[in-house]
Amino acid sequence: MAKVLIPTPLRQFTGKQDSVTVPGATVGEVLSALTTQYPDLRKQIFNDEGKLRSFVNVYLNDEDIRYLGKDATPAKDGDTLSLVPSIAGGSSVAAPPEEVTLSNEEILRYSRHLIIPEVGIEGQKKLKAAKVLLVGAGGLGAPLGLYLAAAGVGRIGLVDFDTVDFTNLQRQVIHSTKDVGRNKIDSAAEKMLAINPNVRIAKHNVALSSENALDILKDYDLVVDGTDNFPTRYLVNDACVLLNKPNVYGSIFRFEGQATVFAYKGGPCYRCLYPEPPPPGLVPSCAEGGVLGILPGTIGLIQATETVKLILGIGEPLVGRLLLYDALGMRFRELKLRKNPECPVCGEHRTITKLIDYQQFCGIPAQEPKVTEGEIEVTEVKAMLDRGDNFVLLDVREPHEYQIASIPGAKLVPLGEVARRLDEFDKNADIVIHCKSGMRSAKACGILKQAGFEHVRNMKGGILAWSDQVDPSVPKY
Amino acid sequence: MIRIEAEPWAAMVAHARESYPNECCGAMLGDNTGDKTVNAAMRLDNAFAGAQAARYELRPEDLLAADKAARERHMDLIGIYHSHPDCDAYFSKTDLQNSCPWYSFVVLSIQKGEFHHANSWLPNFDQTEAAREELIY
Repeated sequence: MAKVLIPTPLRQFTGKQDSVTVPGATVGEVLSALTTQYPDLRKQIFNDEGKLRSFVNVYLNDEDIRYLGKDATPAKDGDTLSLVPSIAGGSSVAAPPEEVTLSNEEILRYSRHLIIPEVGIEGQKKLKAAKVLLVGAGGLGAPLGLYLAAAGVGRIGLVDFDTVDFTNLQRQVIHSTKDVGRNKIDSAAEKMLAINPNVRIAKHNVALSSENALDILKDYDLVVDGTDNFPTRYLVNDACVLLNKPNVYGSIFRFEGQATVFAYKGGPCYRCLYPEPPPPGLVPSCAEGGVLGILPGTIGLIQATETVKLILGIGEPLVGRLLLYDALGMRFRELKLRKNPECPVCGEHRTITKLIDYQQFCGIPAQEPKVTEGEIEVTEVKAMLDRGDNFVLLDVREPHEYQIASIPGAKLVPLGEVARRLDEFDKNADIVIHCKSGMRSAKACGILKQAGFEHVRNMKGGILAWSDQVDPSVPKY
Repeated sequence: MIRIEAEPWAAMVAHARESYPNECCGAMLGDNTGDKTVNAAMRLDNAFAGAQAARYELRPEDLLAADKAARERHMDLIGIYHSHPDCDAYFSKTDLQNSCPWYSFVVLSIQKGEFHHANSWLPNFDQTEAAREELIY
């Protein structure tokens, strides 16, 4: 026997009584007796299969029965049962297009869209109802952010944890000179809102990781990959496949770019194209290899075009086709992409069913190995030069880098030539090697040490550290 | 139809404005006989663990407390209100999937920190759709 408190809206089914005392030794029996006595209550509490409706929680006195004995929880005389719905919500899932309205200001703003029959009011509402996540507010993210905001995509999420750097300004046109040092997402959001204050921007000032990716991506309709590294690219791909969201992909290097749409309605994914990442260091990033500043504009806008087409549901999406762009030849080519039936994440025998450690997958050690042994500070190298010590300063960068900045007296032998030019050096000589930041020179140290050179040291931080700590007149690049 | 008296209405709008840019939530108490009339608004904690700019969650204990408070004041728990910062007062998919057909759901649209418009919604049992309810305030 227990007293059941009847929520206000249900009292119409209990003859206006706000509580009813019914027999039963357990909670299950009490509820069963209750709905037998008041049959109209059954539909409110139980579904067609006779299970408690998903929104109904049952409390025995102050405790949720889920944490007691569920249906079998004993109900004693004097106990009170309450029916409490679980309620939550939020605007995180955008309004369906039919609920979206356009103000007169918006109608004027989007006029050139509205008069295209393929877009029209209906299409513009789809854009306003859409939620797009841009991963990266850099080279690709810049044109994407500006144009998608201008086009009226209602909600745009930005993921980036980086700050604006002088070397970004040559291509990342969403950031200005005055923004150097600011968070990229703050700088980008400001420009996007200046173009279109109707856009709602969600700032995710984090590094996308296996821990947070699903949580961030799940609220969006579509993800645009504007990342510059392999671990994040595989992470975005796998998260999109697991969440069944299209991944609008783009990548850039020097004068060449690629774009396609992955994971769209059963189409191929990034892993179908590249099952394994390249060994670390083989494919240079923009910071290492350089990029024509205009290139991300071209590729980013191809991604933006595909994004808008997918939202509107018009045209022929770039699915199952990898678009290759060669800026020097000014040519576009297309490769057919097929879904790999053996793909570990989207194939028939999936081995990846949750996010993994992508740093490890891409062969990047969790922490940079400490190569303090055999390292030398730039200030110490400067002192050696000033004292006129007898040593060789070896620069292993490329000739065009040497032209930008160099340390007087350094001998230039690009890393790729070091191994076959070993005879140019004396095995007993004191050798200090430098490059731009210390990575390539560490490799050169390894080559020399293996060849039997004993007095080899790596200049820590490369010419960038030299500029910072020794001679600011040497430009950084 | 649901009518919200001036005093609870002002309290709801103030709550929504104070919580901006986050979502707020609360309970509406009043008279459920005939046309629904809200005489009191009761602030409840947004218990969503995570960014609350576009999400809210009610603790069942808090809802139970609101129901108790209503009984003690000889009122009925009529509905739940929450705010949508910088977007319209539609009933989103998230709202729908975490709703309950027993109550009226009033959504307040707060644009750039100021009240913009509101709607009341009545979700169905299967949480697949919500009908718009006439709202007077």
